[in-house]
Amino acid sequence: MSVALQFRAIGRICYFNGLLPLWRSPLLVMAVFLTPFSFLFFLFVIGASTDSDLFPYGVVGGILFTALFTGNGMLNDCAYLRLERQLQQVFVASPVSSFAYVLGMALSELAFTLPALALFLGILTIVHPITPGAFGILVGVVLLTWLMATTLGFLISTLFRQLREIWPIGTLVFSSLAVLPPLFYPIRAIPESARWATFLAPSTFAGQLADWAVGLPNGTISPAPLGSPLVDLAGLAAATLFFALAAAFLARWREP
Amino acid sequence: MDALVAEHLTKVYRGRTAAVPALDGVDLAIPTGRLFGLLGRNGAGKTTFIKIAATLLVPTAGRIELFGHDVVAEPRAVRPLIALVPQEGRPFYHMTPREHIVEYLRARGESGSVARGRAAEIIGAMGLTGFAEEPSYRLSGGQQQRTLVAMILATEAPFLFLDEPTLGMDPFARRQVWEVIRRVTAKGSTVLLTTHYLDEAEQLTEDLAVVEAGHVLYRGSPENLKARVGREVRLQFSAGVTAAELAPFGRVLTDRGRSVVLTQRGAVRELTQLALERGAEVTVGPVTLEEAFLELVGRGIEEEETA
Repeated sequence: MSVALQFRAIGRICYFNGLLPLWRSPLLVMAVFLTPFSFLFFLFVIGASTDSDLFPYGVVGGILFTALFTGNGMLNDCAYLRLERQLQQVFVASPVSSFAYVLGMALSELAFTLPALALFLGILTIVHPITPGAFGILVGVVLLTWLMATTLGFLISTLFRQLREIWPIGTLVFSSLAVLPPLFYPIRAIPESARWATFLAPSTFAGQLADWAVGLPNGTISPAPLGSPLVDLAGLAAATLFFALAAAFLARWREP
Repeated sequence: MDALVAEHLTKVYRGRTAAVPALDGVDLAIPTGRLFGLLGRNGAGKTTFIKIAATLLVPTAGRIELFGHDVVAEPRAVRPLIALVPQEGRPFYHMTPREHIVEYLRARGESGSVARGRAAEIIGAMGLTGFAEEPSYRLSGGQQQRTLVAMILATEAPFLFLDEPTLGMDPFARRQVWEVIRRVTAKGSTVLLTTHYLDEAEQLTEDLAVVEAGHVLYRGSPENLKARVGREVRLQFSAGVTAAELAPFGRVLTDRGRSVVLTQRGAVRELTQLALERGAEVTVGPVTLEEAFLELVGRGIEEEETA
């Protein structure tokens, strides 16, 4: 099947797995929005009582949390379609390539989160106005984060044979990436000597880059190259490439 | 020309404690345009064979070609030529039957007008009209299965793998599906069908293979398989006639508590006389594929146990 037809397949999968359920069940948007918004609400309450201004960090954290949790959605959707519905097999035995299937599914996950992302961006422009350049960088960070998370989600989904095994793994992996690292809070909240360790989670690169782009100050980080926007960008890009390649070579499109 | 050729196809699954052989040197050729049945008990290796042929699973050893392409080495050449109804598959919960057919065909590269045209045609042919616009979570299990089968048959792919396609369908729905399967075969598709409904295999297939424990036990027509039983008719008795009394006349089976004997036409008069004397009801009919299958696989199991 030609490249043009693969792109058509990507569009159709995005449409029927993302846009169609969103159109039919708009309440699903609330499910995507609710968890990061709850964190934001806590930060708002804590900020009001402690006189600290964590709220803009929380909004940026909400944006990145939403982008990262497309990976959890991808993991659960792909595992469900493969194990429970046997529908991934229907696409394997077809001209639709694994690339088209994965990208179509990943875009459908992004489609689900677009309303929530738009809402968080709207809140950000109210509480912490940003320049068009910063907006562009933020969108770039979101796209890299989405790509990293969804390829990781797909990879994990193909390695297990039972849905019950997959559910806790998704929560574990994506909570570790989205909740623990300094996304909702500034990295300066962590003791200086331990800040480098947060970069073991690749989402920290995204958080630091996004904070820098929108002009939210962060503390110093050592060793020296860490904390530089270029290193953050390189780290995020490398992690994205790593998970994309891992998905391309290790994911089981055809079972061994 | 053969559409599918398998040579010494072997698959061994890694179990927790030991290797589990699923296919053990299967040789099989399926001619182009044929509606071919693959029969066997649960765990005999049918689904494993289909998964390998449909590029879902890599064999442990052996070779398999589809339309001249090596299935293992050239999956990208094979995949545009095939479509699969997986065993116990289910459609997307939020999509209607029509959307399933149109969207799947479009994802496979068909134009919108072709996809809509084929959807309209198959929806009518498979009796989906009454619920074609209902999301599948509102459909019964049989209706969902029909949706999935319609989606795959509408592809009119050169090679169709149907792994127990009528599972859970009522007799009317099964017959509608049979008719569409015959139609796509007449249009030129080759079909590999597995089923546990042996009446379905008898109705649909002109050629079949029986697998047992990863081996091909039989390859040929349903008629020849029935002929191998060596008996011409089956007589089923209500209570009153014992298996011991029937044994001299042929092979005796039990079907839902009733005695059945497979025998020659010449014994029918004597056996009906026996039933009359006992006040028992007797039903006379041809030997079915199910009996031939039970006989063949039963013998296969016995031979394996003896070995």
